[in-house]
Amino acid sequence: MSREEQFARQICRVLDRGAAQLERGVAERLRAARERALQRQPVLVPGAVQIGAGGTALLGGDEKKHPLRTTLAILVLLFGVGLSYYWNGFSRASENEAIDSALLADVLPPNAYLDKGFQAWLEKDSSAGQ
Amino acid sequence: MASRAELSNFLAEVERRAYKQALYAVRDEDAALDIVQDSMMRLSEKYGDRPAAELPLLFQRILQNAIRDHYRRSRTKAERFTSLTAFEGDDENPADPLETLELNDDISPFAAPHTALLRAETLTLVEEALQKLPPRQREAFLLRYWEGLDIAETAAAMGCTEGSVKTHCSRATHTLAVALDAKGIRP
Repeated sequence: MSREEQFARQICRVLDRGAAQLERGVAERLRAARERALQRQPVLVPGAVQIGAGGTALLGGDEKKHPLRTTLAILVLLFGVGLSYYWNGFSRASENEAIDSALLADVLPPNAYLDKGFQAWLEKDSSAGQ
Repeated sequence: MASRAELSNFLAEVERRAYKQALYAVRDEDAALDIVQDSMMRLSEKYGDRPAAELPLLFQRILQNAIRDHYRRSRTKAERFTSLTAFEGDDENPADPLETLELNDDISPFAAPHTALLRAETLTLVEEALQKLPPRQREAFLLRYWEGLDIAETAAAMGCTEGSVKTHCSRATHTLAVALDAKGIRP
């Protein structure tokens, strides 16, 4: 240690004494300021990664540390989207199937509903009956 | 990320020195307390999720910026004079107080003052001498020796080169030695 550093250390020991002898009021205000500052510390929820200043996203923590977990989350998401698409298609096919069954089970052949003459005869017959 | 306990312990350990640093710079108790409070708030809010090992340097950067902001907002004529010499022309000053400094290793009133009165008087004289230093010299001296930052960290906290830190520290130490010697205190 150089003489300059030795002298500086001696000065700092004197300053340490001064810092230790702060007035009670000043020390109390510093303690209160510390408590207020601690209330501002961001709280990190376990299993969540902080985004920006205030929000959190539940995507499994730091993706740099857990790439497998992030990949797994994306795969689960894609699987969910695929399952939803398949389920919608299945529901629509079931509805169509029910309509087709009703048409086929009717006494009229399905082509009768496409015949304009038959439609006209139905309307004329129903109005004559009234 | 620093835990609440780590951040609390760090602030408790540094708050008194931070207050004194601010007080030496602005010479106003309320302003010094405000500066320290704002610095602690900012550290906790903006950098509370950083590792505990990064807190000392981050805090000193925030604190020094807060002190400089205070200078900019409310510098008096006297402060303007000292800050001009410190911020702009200090490196150009060729004066070398080292030539006038004679250290005497045998006598050390710092290590063993005889009475409480002598201790108090020594503290007052040292603090007065510190307050009279140009701000950048005082800043470098306190960061380097009182806060225990190395030269690179001090340079980062002050926003200057490592060479400037060495120059500021050397001049501060020698100026203090000369000033205290004039008061009859010889390290």
